[in-house]
Amino acid sequence: MITAERKPMEELIECLKPYHRILLVGCNECVTVCAAGGRKEVGILSSALQMAFKTEGKNLEVKEITLERQCDPEYVEELVTHIDQAEAVMSMACGCGVQEIARRFKDKPVYPAVNTTFMGASERQGVWAERCQGCGECVLGLTGGICPIARCSKQLLNGPCGGSTNGKCEVDPDIDCAWQLIWDRLKALGLEDRYEENIPAKDWRTGRGGGPRKIIREDLVK
Amino acid sequence: MENFEPTIVAFCCHYCAYTAADMAGSKRLCYPSNVKIIRVPCSGKVDSIHILKALEMGADGVYVAGCLEGDCHFKNGNIEASKRVAYIKKLLDEINIGGERVEMVLMSAGMGERFAQTAVDMTEKIRKLGPNPVKSASKADHAA
Amino acid sequence: MQDQNMLKQNHTVLVIGGGVAGIRAAMDLAESKRDVVLIDKAYSIGGLMTQLDRTFPTNNCDLCTLSPNLSESGRQLHIELMAMTQVAEVQGEAGNFKLKLITEPRFIDLEKCTACGDCFNKYPECVRFTPGLDHRAPTCMRYPQAIPHAFSIDIEKCKDIDGLVKVCKADAILPEDTQKVQEVDVGAIVLAPGAEVFDPGKLDSLGYATNPDVVTSLEYERILSASGPTQGELVRPSDGKQPDKIAWIQCVGSRSLHEGAASYCSSACCMFALKEAIVTKERFQDSIETAIFYMDMRTFGKDYELYLNRAKNDFDIRLSRSRPHSVLRNPETASLSITYTPDDSNTNVTEDFDMVVLSTGFKVSQDVQDLAVKLGIELNEHHFAKTDSFSPVATSKSGIYVCGMFESPKDIPETMVQASAAAFCASKDLSVTAELSESVEEFPPERDVSQEPLRIGVFVCDCGLNIGGVIDAKGLADYAGTLPDVIVSEMIGHGCSRESLVHIENTIIEKNLNRVVIGGCSPRTHETKFQDALRRAGLNKYLVEIANIRDQDTWVHFDHPDDAFIKAKELIRMATISVALSRPLTDNIFPMNKDVLVVGGGVTGMNAALGMADMGFKVYLAERSGELGGVAKKIHKTIEGDDVQAYVKDLINKTMQHDRIEVINNAFIVDHTGMPGMFKTGFQIAPQMFYRQIEHGVTILATGALPNKPEEYLLGEHKNVMTQLDMDAMIENHPDEIKGLTNIVMIQCVGSRCPENPNCSRICCQSAIKNALRIRELNSTAKIFILYRDMRTYGFYEDYYKKARELGVIFVRYGADEPPEVQAVGEQLKVTFYDSILRRNVSVYSDCLCLSTGLIADEESSEDLGRIFHIPKTIDNYFLEDHIKLRPIDLSVPGFFVAGTAHAPKTIRECIAQAQAAASRAHSMLGRDTLNLGAAIARVEGEKCAACLICVRACPFSIPFINEDGYSEIDPAKCHGCGICAAVCPAKAIQLMQYEDDQIMAKLTGLLERVN
Repeated sequence: MITAERKPMEELIECLKPYHRILLVGCNECVTVCAAGGRKEVGILSSALQMAFKTEGKNLEVKEITLERQCDPEYVEELVTHIDQAEAVMSMACGCGVQEIARRFKDKPVYPAVNTTFMGASERQGVWAERCQGCGECVLGLTGGICPIARCSKQLLNGPCGGSTNGKCEVDPDIDCAWQLIWDRLKALGLEDRYEENIPAKDWRTGRGGGPRKIIREDLVK
Repeated sequence: MENFEPTIVAFCCHYCAYTAADMAGSKRLCYPSNVKIIRVPCSGKVDSIHILKALEMGADGVYVAGCLEGDCHFKNGNIEASKRVAYIKKLLDEINIGGERVEMVLMSAGMGERFAQTAVDMTEKIRKLGPNPVKSASKADHAA
Repeated sequence: MQDQNMLKQNHTVLVIGGGVAGIRAAMDLAESKRDVVLIDKAYSIGGLMTQLDRTFPTNNCDLCTLSPNLSESGRQLHIELMAMTQVAEVQGEAGNFKLKLITEPRFIDLEKCTACGDCFNKYPECVRFTPGLDHRAPTCMRYPQAIPHAFSIDIEKCKDIDGLVKVCKADAILPEDTQKVQEVDVGAIVLAPGAEVFDPGKLDSLGYATNPDVVTSLEYERILSASGPTQGELVRPSDGKQPDKIAWIQCVGSRSLHEGAASYCSSACCMFALKEAIVTKERFQDSIETAIFYMDMRTFGKDYELYLNRAKNDFDIRLSRSRPHSVLRNPETASLSITYTPDDSNTNVTEDFDMVVLSTGFKVSQDVQDLAVKLGIELNEHHFAKTDSFSPVATSKSGIYVCGMFESPKDIPETMVQASAAAFCASKDLSVTAELSESVEEFPPERDVSQEPLRIGVFVCDCGLNIGGVIDAKGLADYAGTLPDVIVSEMIGHGCSRESLVHIENTIIEKNLNRVVIGGCSPRTHETKFQDALRRAGLNKYLVEIANIRDQDTWVHFDHPDDAFIKAKELIRMATISVALSRPLTDNIFPMNKDVLVVGGGVTGMNAALGMADMGFKVYLAERSGELGGVAKKIHKTIEGDDVQAYVKDLINKTMQHDRIEVINNAFIVDHTGMPGMFKTGFQIAPQMFYRQIEHGVTILATGALPNKPEEYLLGEHKNVMTQLDMDAMIENHPDEIKGLTNIVMIQCVGSRCPENPNCSRICCQSAIKNALRIRELNSTAKIFILYRDMRTYGFYEDYYKKARELGVIFVRYGADEPPEVQAVGEQLKVTFYDSILRRNVSVYSDCLCLSTGLIADEESSEDLGRIFHIPKTIDNYFLEDHIKLRPIDLSVPGFFVAGTAHAPKTIRECIAQAQAAASRAHSMLGRDTLNLGAAIARVEGEKCAACLICVRACPFSIPFINEDGYSEIDPAKCHGCGICAAVCPAKAIQLMQYEDDQIMAKLTGLLERVN
């Protein structure tokens, strides 16, 4: 899932200052699951924004809508009936959703309400952690199912580095050393030999090195 | 400002605080009429939005009253509510409404005295804080 | 003594006596769908207990715990309550009694009286009042929550009848009221007439009649009571001063040879005195001195020994072992002088007290003895109802059962146990056809209001002066009329009175209302009443909203009536706006599983199982060992001489042969899930340990206790040292050996009342005396010594104690700090003890040392079962009941009941009563065919759900799951209705019915809309 968290209120209030009527759009996918931009967070933000405006003696009309998925044009189309009444749109979806709205409604300013952070998993209720960086060339098969790109602070392909102490990363003692995890897991699987093999340098063109990426499925393309 | 009478909403758990409020009644324990009670089945049922909306609609203070720790009829609803109240306090600080306008209190069904005392304390505290800025600003707005 | 198979014709039970016993019995019967006529000679029910200030051992206020019971009995559909009513004549047999009942005139119309108090305020002499000390309490009803909630007029004392009639605004005075005679036909009778307290006026040496500062314990209770004559001020009756020093004298009218006094022990007075002394000390600490003069401190009930220890150690209450012969007024100081011989001395001491409380015992009143004659039941030599060892609540006459004090003197928990037991036996007599008499209130079909425009009716109660005395209730109703969609808005008197409810129903129908707001008291206590009124008027019961104007407004803001009025308007507005959004809801009703699980196959378990099986329920009886019988298999005779072995054998046969009982031997409980009415319990069954799960609606725990075998006094080391159980077997199996004994010593409290096992084992004093008497029968020359700390032969066991002394059994008291010492001298045992009368050590060479080791909790099973079933335990590992006083059988987990020695040590007879009581409680729960879980359950809107799992993780009971369609699903049968899932759902896809978000928002709007 793509995770996100709400921007500081101050920043949100600042960018909405010129407006009196906005559309606040949530998304019922990833940001709902990570409790950043679902129907409930839309309600909370809407109320908080209106109060913040009122304390300044101003009024902000907020129309709350939560779309099934903001990164699909068909769902974004549902905003058509409301867009005219709003001077601006604030999106609580990840960056994909924000851009989809910007693409569809060319004459409306759109602002993100959340910072899209990473692709992650929920460790437990209320805690999400980064797991994938979308590098385009997955190495998990070599590393025991633990990603050194997303989970090693240095993205080392052949770790660990000298900063690994008692299984923790020198960047932050709360971060597990990914290479310690990889080694422990390979050992548990009886695949210690694999650790000895050098992973060759990565071709970053499949990552962001080659510019923005696109996937085309010929069988589905219309 | 001297004659400011705050309006306070208390979300009270049916099993403890609401019963304690009734108990305060049977014992004729007086407390300020500023406190208005909304009954909920468990303090864990109180949504962050309910607290925000109360303030947005003009309440000067809000508190959630749940059972004593370990006494929740539903195991941990009171703990959940406490966490939620703490989260809302931070958000309110961010928008300059002031987190201290919102509180979580715990009591058992038999604590009529504590209910009354909480109402007195909360009213006193909010009176000191002054009116909810949302309300006073919008009044000024209307006047203008 | 009861014949089960006779033809039953009538399904009503008459309960005589409206004290706690009668109320409990009536409620159990009513819940089991038996019709009950409950009569009491007093003008309100509640009996003796309503006069108490606090009860032991929790020192809680009684009224607060009792009054919910009282109001329940007023509410039950199956109960017809007749106050001021007595039995005049009885005819017929079990199954078909014909009685003539006489009801004295009350001169008050119960339907109309609102208990406003106007009659009493104006004409106090006309209104009846009786409890303790004849000063009048602030209210002239017997207690503030009296039922019937109405006054009673003493017309003879009333001089201005016309004035009295006029003063009543409700027009409730009936000056022409007369005695009414009516005949009732009933199938069975439960006697709960209670007892009266001994009148110490006859004992002139105690000065009760002449000295106002000598009071009975019940009068002292009234002085302490907040609703008593002094409104809770502790003052000396003679001069109104607070006393500095108070003495209690025990056994007044009990354990006594005086004229008119009883020879038995009244059982409850020791605890009663301790409680009064503790409450006094709690209130006045060191400024008051308390002393209790007693013969034996009989704190034999559950956890009572701990209470005694607290009195001694924490409250510094002086316990003096002596029986003062007289209370004299000291002419110099006007105090009361008591002369007594302290325990450790041979000389008399005279001490002055400011007040003396006489712990008067209980006796059966002449009225009740006359009633017994009318009913044709036998009484024992003390005039209590005669029952036998194995049928503790059955009288000598079939179809008539007894409970409470009339069976024997006892405290409240035991009274509650017997009340349920008697209800069960009576219920069982009617079981053949009684199930037909289903009289659940039938409601008309619900009107579909979904397409109707809103039509709201607002009814504001003035609740006597409770609301109307503080705010303008009429003005409040007028204000409500201005709110949107309000069609009718009126003030009504007492909204909860029958008249007002009928008026509300009629208005709903006439004005075609589809939503109702009541401005009155707390929905906690009165919601059901108004919901029923809506149902009767053809509306769904969830279309009513109650504004709590009384408990949360006028009662707490009476000091600021203007503010109270403003708040009342806000509360009414909140309820009105919110009720507009209420929707018809359906209660979640599930079929009740009516099978019963009984855990433990001893006498208690088998009695409970047979009781339920005879009632037609399927019973699983799980026993940990390979055979039924429990500890009773080791006991041969009761103290009364009944054959326990024959009884147990017969019980086992009946249990094994009963076609509705399945006995599961060698069963170990390993898991448990579900809720009352739908439990699942898993067993492993030895020796193969295969697994089996059964489904059941209720559970009765009868896991028993263990005979204690402490390693003391050479027990298990010397062949002539044994327990009372061993002695019992020896008397039965080897009488010749008994005949050969010359010196037998018994030591009491071995392994009980000690730090390792702090409570009293209750049974040992009577079992030592039982064995001593049996030994005496076989061997008239042997010397028998019983070394004891306090002889606790409560109730009629006192007779056997007396008999033992007459037959030469030597009783010697020892203190806990100087226990007897035992040395083995070859075959013999040298027992050395301190004799407090001789004031020196005495040694006895004994050829048999018999230890009263009592019982100890089965820690292993209470630990395991407590964990699996989530049931709390006492510190000494017995199961802890839900309410130690009023609910001694119900456990804190609904659907679980405890009986027998798993609850606390007790005799076989007491175990049987508790087994019957547990069956009664279980039966009353199974009386319902369905389980109503209410409407407050969480509902998921599938399209909104993001399947995020937050609800799955947040639910305290792990109920939500993601279903095959990919959204969260919540089983209404399992949902507890807390709403936590609804509050955390990030997609707002979950709503808790009855508390939907839009309704909460509407309440906020109602409260706050004028604020901005």
